[in-house]
Amino acid sequence: MKKMRWAGLMLAVMMVLTLLSGCGSSKETLNIYSWADNFDEEVLKEFEKQFDVKINYDVFANNEDLLAKIKAGGNGYDLIQPSDYMVATMIKQDLLEPLNKDNIPNWTNISDTYKNPSFDPDNKYSLVYMSGVTGIAYNTKYVKEEISSWADLWNPEYKGKVILLDDNREMIGMALKKAGLSNSTTDEAQITAAVDDLKTLLPSVLAFDTDNIKQKMIQEEGWIATVWSGDASVIAQNNPDVAFVIPKEGGTIWSDNYAIPKGSKHKELAEKFINYMLDPEVSAKNYESIGYSDPNTKATPFHTEEYNNDKMINLSEEELSRTEWLGDVGEMLQVYDRFWTELKSGRE
Amino acid sequence: MKSKNHPLLGIHSLIMMVFIYVPIAFIIAYSFNSSRLAADWSGFTFDWYISLFGNRHVMEALSNSLIIAVVSTLVSTVLGTISALAIRKLGKKMKVGFGGLLYLPIIIPDIIMGLSLLVLFNQFQMPLGKITIIIAHITFSMSYVHVVITTRLIGMGNQLEEAASDLGAGAWQTFRYVTLPQIFPGIIAGALIAFTLSLDDFMVSFFVSGPSSTTLPIYIYGQVKRGISPEINALCTILILVSVTLIFLAQFMLNRGKGQKKQSVLPF
Repeated sequence: MKKMRWAGLMLAVMMVLTLLSGCGSSKETLNIYSWADNFDEEVLKEFEKQFDVKINYDVFANNEDLLAKIKAGGNGYDLIQPSDYMVATMIKQDLLEPLNKDNIPNWTNISDTYKNPSFDPDNKYSLVYMSGVTGIAYNTKYVKEEISSWADLWNPEYKGKVILLDDNREMIGMALKKAGLSNSTTDEAQITAAVDDLKTLLPSVLAFDTDNIKQKMIQEEGWIATVWSGDASVIAQNNPDVAFVIPKEGGTIWSDNYAIPKGSKHKELAEKFINYMLDPEVSAKNYESIGYSDPNTKATPFHTEEYNNDKMINLSEEELSRTEWLGDVGEMLQVYDRFWTELKSGRE
Repeated sequence: MKSKNHPLLGIHSLIMMVFIYVPIAFIIAYSFNSSRLAADWSGFTFDWYISLFGNRHVMEALSNSLIIAVVSTLVSTVLGTISALAIRKLGKKMKVGFGGLLYLPIIIPDIIMGLSLLVLFNQFQMPLGKITIIIAHITFSMSYVHVVITTRLIGMGNQLEEAASDLGAGAWQTFRYVTLPQIFPGIIAGALIAFTLSLDDFMVSFFVSGPSSTTLPIYIYGQVKRGISPEINALCTILILVSVTLIFLAQFMLNRGKGQKKQSVLPF
């Protein structure tokens, strides 16, 4: 009999849990699929309260995971945050809904720098959410020379102390920029030359690392590294010896964006959410919390002085003018992939 | 006859232990580190555990994981038990055939399992979410339960049941008062394994998850992209503890029952 009671208990627990999972479903829901910790919590809560809705916030770890999920269909997401090149891919594959700007009057607050980017020329399908530029972070304790060019990574004095992003297009793009070319060239000869150049850098490389590059720089394992501007700001906050520069040849600019996938059941709510996030006060609070540059021009007065003075978060017009988006390279992507694998396996 | 072990064997075992347990030990140790940065030890703290329980997304992922694990465990345990009982009565050829089919989900790579289920759900236009994850987890958990209970049934033999029917017990009575009590530890063991598998699964869940069905492993995976925080270490430590406890409990339950030869059924 004891066993029967135990089974009864289990059944009761299960029913309670099922009930719990069912509650709250009466409210309209906004299903967000994005990177982890990409929003300030309070800003989300405030939206839920203001619009009497529930936000489901699920996370992915890279653009390719996102693409796989959205392509599989039947996933029910209303708002996704693909990076720049992924927006281009998704537009091409007809996976995105055009945005209805009438529901997003605040979109005009976005700085001109981030309007009409090359991956979505008329902002038909996407709006920039956050952005950064790949530059060079270096520790002034060990790196005494003035750093101004990508070529400085090749300086033999930093042998074994250079960290590069573990990213195919970023790194080959960097070598292309160094040679004064486009980071998205489709000319195989140019790519070959860039990769050959990168190969000469290999002996200096401590690691290819994207995820833990911040820690490695803070702990001074690496002296000099290719780093995104937002990450550089985090590094500098934890290790004041670290400086950051956008090399004179220019750097690759990237962004994570708002987009609505085809098949969204709450498209209008997603648009209202984007509009809410672009409200100057809301966006000041949000970007302050996540520590990335705010594309909202009207938000500046609401930001703290510390934020407004952070040169790594707020890149100058001059610095931004030297940047280039990663363009779609079509079939040539295979060539990039092959070279990248070759390059990384050449290390061993 | 016990031969003396070769000294190299001891060294080999030691190296194996280091390989397996040092990374886990690091995660556990750094979950108590008061510095945000790994590799810097700056003091002992419980803060990460506290902030973990105040984090709404972690709590949501935890509740999703628990709901999915409880439901999929209940269903897969019942189905696995029934299938083990049924296949036992089959002829030899059928037994090998069906037993093999039930064994397949254990050896099929997770990625193929996840992908095939995703394709299936799309064919039926089922919206992805908790339900699809539960179905997926039942699919593989059931096989483990089946294997565990089959082992238990083989250990039990037929004599008791034959004696029961000789003494006039009907089919239901035999099952209720003879078979079920005998295999009960096996059922519990199977259920605990199913629960652990469901709680830990990433690959299959990743494919078939949808809005508001982020489980703990999926959440952890997403977080790692942002740099490994001590909170994640704390979360992993809790997951490790729960899993290990459950597996030990399963092993203990299976070995309970007097006069039974000690046996291990864990297929891994």
